[in-house]
Amino acid sequence: MTQVRDYFKTFSVHTTLILLIIVTSVPFYWAAQTSIKFTRDTISSTPTLWGFEVTADPYRKFWFVDEEQNMWAVGLYLLIVAVAVFVLSKVRKRLATKWPATVAILVSLWAALTIFPMVFEMNREFDFFINSIFVTVLTVLISISIGLLAGYGLARYSGLSGAVILIAALAFRALPRTAFVLPYFIVAKELGILDSRLVIVLALVAVNQPFTIWMLRSFFMEVPREIEEAAMMDGATRLQAFRLAVIPIMWPGIIATSLFTMLLAYNEFLFVRVLAVTEWTLPVAISSLTGGDSAGTVTEAAAASVSITLPIIIVIMIFQKHLVKGLGAGAVKG
Amino acid sequence: MDRKTFAGFTVTSVFIMFALMVFPLVTTIYLSFNRILLRDVGIAEWIGFGNYTEVLSDPDFWAAFRLTILYVAVVVPVQIILGFAVANLLDRVVRGRGLYMAALLLPFIVTPVVGTLLVRDLFDRGGLLAWLWELATDEAFVITGSNIKWVLISHGVWATAPFAVITFFAGMQTLPGERVEAAEMDGAGFWAKQRFVVIPHLKSLLIFVLLISIMDAYRVFDSSFVFGQSVGQAANTLMVYNFDVAFNAQLGRVGKGNAIAVITVIGMFIVLIPFLIKSYREQIAER
Repeated sequence: MTQVRDYFKTFSVHTTLILLIIVTSVPFYWAAQTSIKFTRDTISSTPTLWGFEVTADPYRKFWFVDEEQNMWAVGLYLLIVAVAVFVLSKVRKRLATKWPATVAILVSLWAALTIFPMVFEMNREFDFFINSIFVTVLTVLISISIGLLAGYGLARYSGLSGAVILIAALAFRALPRTAFVLPYFIVAKELGILDSRLVIVLALVAVNQPFTIWMLRSFFMEVPREIEEAAMMDGATRLQAFRLAVIPIMWPGIIATSLFTMLLAYNEFLFVRVLAVTEWTLPVAISSLTGGDSAGTVTEAAAASVSITLPIIIVIMIFQKHLVKGLGAGAVKG
Repeated sequence: MDRKTFAGFTVTSVFIMFALMVFPLVTTIYLSFNRILLRDVGIAEWIGFGNYTEVLSDPDFWAAFRLTILYVAVVVPVQIILGFAVANLLDRVVRGRGLYMAALLLPFIVTPVVGTLLVRDLFDRGGLLAWLWELATDEAFVITGSNIKWVLISHGVWATAPFAVITFFAGMQTLPGERVEAAEMDGAGFWAKQRFVVIPHLKSLLIFVLLISIMDAYRVFDSSFVFGQSVGQAANTLMVYNFDVAFNAQLGRVGKGNAIAVITVIGMFIVLIPFLIKSYREQIAER
């Protein structure tokens, strides 16, 4: 009898979870199917769910200058890049020293992005995509480098000023963007550096610092002090011990924190909207697309949504375990 | 670690936070007592509390304030209760956990502007929910100024609950199995186990998620902005109202915008100060 009851319990748990993931993912499915439709199939109040004519026009309209762009060629290009990166990452797994393969992967991704607009004639949106990547990468690099130093100091120092800095950071974490953005805007305008990607990076690094130092600190708290003490016994300075003994075992924490920083920078809307006049990133480009009400842009907006979402989904899929672990670890100790 | 080494490690971070958060905040407070227009931000005229009296007597401010409070009051508790319940379910299954987790993460990782568009498309003409609504009630569903608050709140729950789910789930993984077994040996039922084992273990995590979700719900911007594109200022939360006042193309009123920002910050800290004091005591106790 209990077996039947257990079976029923498991069954209902799975059913509930399946219903929930339908709720979380249906909007994505809906956008994906809208993005391959002709406008005429999206404007009636009864949606055409199947049997509609499939088209790549929305993607052409959003990304390419040529409205007749051959999408098979684009697909082939992306496939070659994907295969190359996949092979390189397989090779990387077998190597003892990982960094040359990591560099090779990054260089090939960079080359793929550089060559792409030379092969295909791209719209402005491609520049916005590059801006998104530029802002994201730079924000992650700067935030994490500064945050690592501070997080380590805060994890190891027992004086009162450490507590004060942490609590002040927590209070800053709560401040709305509107409390900073007007002064940023005024200063950037007066200095004539409005509309530069660096201003956006700086703003993002600043608002992200409180979170970064809290999260990295909680990861450093889990690193036993003996590790750097042993290194310092052997004659290393504090900084050398930090760099050579502590950082190598911090990678899970660094990756988790980088993922959150990446999401923050890639998804940022308000700062870019205010501080950039032409050097937009993708979220602002998409919101400008949907400002009007014309049905013609519904499919294009869907194509844009799919295009901006796919890169994060891929990155998160690769690092999902780190993200989940980071969400737990960052808080249990904090 | 001695004081000097500590200063060396933290100076860059503290400098950045000081230069780019404390200094702008002080500027914001100062400017909120001035009349400044966006088209000529160099000219500031001191008007004392003029901006504040104007904001507090502006019905648009109170509308935005009410919507923001409603949003926080619904989204935060629902997010936490739902998050805790779903984390419990996820904790019970083994098969398919990776898939469930990946699908649950989607609304959390998606760009908020895009996530809002995706949800809006479901409610718009030709969208899935609008269509189902029409099948059920025979009336067309249109997002209007009066139902927008519930659309905004549904999006809020959809977008933020996954964060709570994954965080609670990750926390449950650190719960030692013996403690659960011991409780079961003592004859604890499902609710007793939650009450005496799981919730105490997750206490600091619960407070953390509560804190984060209050902060984020209170300053919600992106979704309100995108819904505002279809229904206008009925979708305005405090942040969007603030943005509208300060960056309106013809008549951006920077001073008034700053006054709104200051009022928003004060509102936030009224809620936050008990938490901050508590965390400060904890930090001191640790030392």
